[in-house]
Amino acid sequence: MAIFLQLLFTGLGIGAIYALVALGFVLLIRAASVVNFAQGQFAMVGAYMLVVCLNVLGLPYLLSMAISVVLMAVFGVIFAGATYWPLRHRGGLPVIISTIGASIFLENIVLFLYGPSPEVLPGLFDSPGIQVGQVFMDSQYLSILVAATLLVVLQYFIFEKTLLGKKLQATSQDKEMASLLGIPVAAMILFTFSYSAMLGGIAGMLVAPVLFVSVGMGGLIALKAFAANIIGGYGSIPGAILGGLALGVAETMGAAYISVPYKDAFAFAMLLMFLAVRPQGLFGEKISEKA
Amino acid sequence: MSVNLASARLWRGFPQAILACVAVVAVAFMLPSEGYYLNILMQAVTYAIAVSGLVVVLGYCGQISIAQAAFFGLGAYGVAIGMVDYHLGFFPAWLCGIGAAGLLGVVLGLGSLRLGGHYLAMVTISFQQILTLFLTNWLEFTHGPDGIRGIPRPRLGPISFEGGHAFLALCMVTLVIVTLAVWRLKTGRLGRAMQAVRDNELAAGTCGINVFATKVIAFGLSAVLGGIGGGLFAGGFQYISPDQFSFGESIVLLTMALLGGVQSPFGSLIGTMVLIILPEWLRFLKEVYLAVYGAAVILIMVFLPDGLWGLMLERVRKRAKPILGDVPKLPLLSQTGAARTDFVLTIEGLAKHFGGLKALDGISLAVRRGSVHALIGPNGSGKSTFINVITGLYKPTAGRVVFAGQDITHVPPYERNRAGLARTFQNIRVFRGMTVLENVMVGAERPGNDVAENPAFVVERALAALDFVGLRGDAHREVGALSYGHQRYVEIARALAATPQMLLLDEPAAGLNLTEKHELGELLKRLKGHGLTILIIDHDMKLVEQVADHITVLNFGKRIADGMPKDVLNHPDVIAAYLGEPQEAAGAAS
Amino acid sequence: MILSRRSVLVGTAIAAATPLRFARGEDTIKIGGIAPITGPAAEAGKFMQNGAAMALEKINGAGGVLGKKLEWVVEDDATTNPGAVLGFSRLVSRGDCVAYTGSIRSTQVQAIAPDVLKAAKPVMFGGTNPGLTQTGNPWLFRTRPNDNYSARVIADYGVNTLKKTKWVIIHSTDAFGTGGKDALVANLSKLGITPVLVQGYSNQQTDFTPVVLAVKQANPDVVSSYFTFENDLGIFARQLRQLGVTVPWVGSPSIINTTALNLAGRALFGTYGIADFTPDASPEATAYATEYVKRYKANPDNQSTWLYDALLILANAINTAKSTDPQEIRKAILAVKGFKGTEGTYNFDEKGDGLRGYNVVKNVNGKIVFDKRIEFTD
Repeated sequence: MAIFLQLLFTGLGIGAIYALVALGFVLLIRAASVVNFAQGQFAMVGAYMLVVCLNVLGLPYLLSMAISVVLMAVFGVIFAGATYWPLRHRGGLPVIISTIGASIFLENIVLFLYGPSPEVLPGLFDSPGIQVGQVFMDSQYLSILVAATLLVVLQYFIFEKTLLGKKLQATSQDKEMASLLGIPVAAMILFTFSYSAMLGGIAGMLVAPVLFVSVGMGGLIALKAFAANIIGGYGSIPGAILGGLALGVAETMGAAYISVPYKDAFAFAMLLMFLAVRPQGLFGEKISEKA
Repeated sequence: MSVNLASARLWRGFPQAILACVAVVAVAFMLPSEGYYLNILMQAVTYAIAVSGLVVVLGYCGQISIAQAAFFGLGAYGVAIGMVDYHLGFFPAWLCGIGAAGLLGVVLGLGSLRLGGHYLAMVTISFQQILTLFLTNWLEFTHGPDGIRGIPRPRLGPISFEGGHAFLALCMVTLVIVTLAVWRLKTGRLGRAMQAVRDNELAAGTCGINVFATKVIAFGLSAVLGGIGGGLFAGGFQYISPDQFSFGESIVLLTMALLGGVQSPFGSLIGTMVLIILPEWLRFLKEVYLAVYGAAVILIMVFLPDGLWGLMLERVRKRAKPILGDVPKLPLLSQTGAARTDFVLTIEGLAKHFGGLKALDGISLAVRRGSVHALIGPNGSGKSTFINVITGLYKPTAGRVVFAGQDITHVPPYERNRAGLARTFQNIRVFRGMTVLENVMVGAERPGNDVAENPAFVVERALAALDFVGLRGDAHREVGALSYGHQRYVEIARALAATPQMLLLDEPAAGLNLTEKHELGELLKRLKGHGLTILIIDHDMKLVEQVADHITVLNFGKRIADGMPKDVLNHPDVIAAYLGEPQEAAGAAS
Repeated sequence: MILSRRSVLVGTAIAAATPLRFARGEDTIKIGGIAPITGPAAEAGKFMQNGAAMALEKINGAGGVLGKKLEWVVEDDATTNPGAVLGFSRLVSRGDCVAYTGSIRSTQVQAIAPDVLKAAKPVMFGGTNPGLTQTGNPWLFRTRPNDNYSARVIADYGVNTLKKTKWVIIHSTDAFGTGGKDALVANLSKLGITPVLVQGYSNQQTDFTPVVLAVKQANPDVVSSYFTFENDLGIFARQLRQLGVTVPWVGSPSIINTTALNLAGRALFGTYGIADFTPDASPEATAYATEYVKRYKANPDNQSTWLYDALLILANAINTAKSTDPQEIRKAILAVKGFKGTEGTYNFDEKGDGLRGYNVVKNVNGKIVFDKRIEFTD
């Protein structure tokens, strides 16, 4: 039982990481119908910004995070301008490819600027964690779980309770209609990119103390996060969160009770299973053909 | 003078291919012995074969695959395991690898191709990752991460492919054959079906194309081409390991296809060569070159939507010439026949509910063979839903549809087309990536059509249909270059070329100006009296009055009137349904 | 990382690029080498270039070879196998290299082996897969101890020095980790021990909790490991300590490399590692380390030393042979006995293996301290 609980805690911690990255995916899917294959690299770029602020400039932790988040917001707009804007009328595929190009670019430009050796970042807390009964709770996993919860609440608040949120929703549902209603659709989409980059960056900063900071840190996480997205229901916010958590737990349990070397296969096998049996995911709407 | 079209010639491309084979064999043997050029060409050629698979699946059929390296790997492992562990000859082992790739491709396709783009991307990525894990961890079968070395090269009778030059020659000849096949596929029946699916799945379905099967075939073919390339790769390098077939490689293959131009095997060939040679030019960049590569991918997408090949074609594109020569008239026009008393289409209690909304609420209707039957009603009365249910795009909630004596209530759209039901769409659905002629050929070659099996007759039939709608002079043009009204005629020609028993016209006058509406009316009159049944849906009362033998009126999903035009149009319920407005005003609404 | 890791083909083709040269001159004797200039092992590539530069300086300072200066021409292998093949074949088609240096990665050496046979010139390499010198390829020479010895030293040290019997083996399922694991299991069984747990994992993991819990349940008195990537090692080490496993840990060389020490920090204190290169192990090693630190302000590790030794041995062999004829060089390399390099004393056997021992070192609060050298004669 102790082992099971320990695995459950870790699974949730890992799952929260997937969920955070998946959240960034969902927003872009909803607002701009963009599948952003560079979402993992957002996390990587965010983590490196924190490394620069903290280890190179020697700023305090929270200030460093704040600066990095602001920089990520700007980065998101630049990213949108380069990869999405020129291709926005050409359908989904060209944008997918250009974000793949962007992911290669980002990894290698950071590799060039910062060098290949991985960096260490301290956690938010000095204590490595707390022992609860027979379960050791890593303080950084706890931070990630708390941050994920806060961000989901914040997102809910923004989307459901503010005028900005209403405009964003209108944009994601019907761009033509939104623009007829006087909503600045372009600005809404840029805002979404910006926000999505911030989310990705925050995810990167939070996982950095656990996974270290390296140019490759985002790649596999992003693939899992995307899988979480589909498992949860394509384009669904609660789906992304639950899909991420479910994936984290399934993967950890699968590794513990079935096979460690095939650990990464569980996520993808689970995804294939969902696509075969329930393609709309946990929370998605039923997929039907359009006439 | 009869029409002689290049696309119908049986041996098209063969002389060039034979010349190319001789040339590449000569080139292969002229290379400096063993070394860099041999290796890099071996890599480029085997990759190019795999990339041409992406031309089929992505370029022709519009389905994204991010697992081409996995299929490439299956081919390579087939050769390696077959030869090293099971002591098969190269060619049987190669076939095993190709078979494994093709089989897995089809299975993967069957499981995922009903879903759209991003799902397919994710499924192929998953497959790619799982395969890599298996190649790495299944030590007993795959030799694990060490890979397999000492893969022998083949001998075929007296010819030995053991030397580097000879094997490269084998690879290059295979590439020539594959390129020829993929190039010819594009202008063949299957290739046209794939492009139709890519351009418009719904319209493809109503043109008799089994959309799902076509996608699965494209996916399977692409996997097979991956396997062919992979098998040669294993023989070429004589050592393979799992990391050569990873996700990253799939991305590289995809980039090669897109860079060169995914619409043509020549494009993918250029893309492969460039991406293998490009780093030579970028050598001064050293560590940043991968970053430059990533940026280049974005720039290609933004500035070269059709790839390098598209760019080249644009420079050298010859003006396509109109296709001259007389062809037999549409067989329809030589028949005569007034409306008969028997019914070709019978609908009983048809209902379609979207959640709580009853778009169709128990409609019964019968259409006489050879008549022109009009279905009218205000906006939201359920007309479009009705035609979509009849053609199989929507599944009915209740009711029965009988066409030509056959219950087609639960039959897929392409089967309905094959049974003789052809349609046009309110919002035009032509195949935008194809020429006018090719659009109509897709209609003519529906399975079961009298000309479908003979490419030359298909062309003749398509030209005859274009003659009928008056677009013969535009046959060679891209369909997107035509005016809106003419695109509608292309749709009508496409439907007529399929020799239907019944033609469904979904608001054919929508979006047309007055002159065009007049022309349309004339065209419909010319269609009358040849035994073809026409069901027309429209708002335009003038048009309907001109051509209809019989009118049915729908409102709020129910039939409110049915009968001869002048009776129906004076029916008080019908007038009320149009909110008491004068008929002209109602007719102008759209 | 997946996008660039090991794979991007264009990476492979950069093999064609990068004309880095460490000595210039009209008439030099050239040795070709492949190195990871790009890709995930780009850092190791930098170390290699440093080591090669130092070797060339030493050789050319002492008069060069056959009266000429020695030059090392490097091609990028992009950290991939196809990259290694293209890089190597490009070196071969230059036609002016008298010998080559290969890779520290076993699979890359596997990949270029057919071309090595065709090139028919000596290739010095650092991959530790024992099989590489067992295939009858006469042109491969290893300047690192192979994994049989790493496993043998780990087993010997754990059983005979630490007196431990309940073994756990954690290994990467890649070529390096699997090879090491197999050798360790074999050597332990020679000492009469069957491990209580042998656990593989795939590279680039986000979490090792399931592995650590399995270790904990097995209740071992010693942990041994073959990790390939420092990130994995770092995450495993931290979680192992967090979940309260404190038994001694003897690891393969990655456990003491600079990056791992930096990433894992306290979690690796008190562990044992084996090293082919340790600064305190011999006067040659100390001299090299001092010089390296002075030049590059960083600590040297085996990424540079195997190449440094390889170039010195090649220069030595060419001078002894008084010829650049490949057969003569080969004979001279095989005749090397008692050559003191930074990695130990080289005595080449007929298969091409030069070293037969490892240093055991201990991590004392983050400092790597030389403990003992274990060497074998067979």
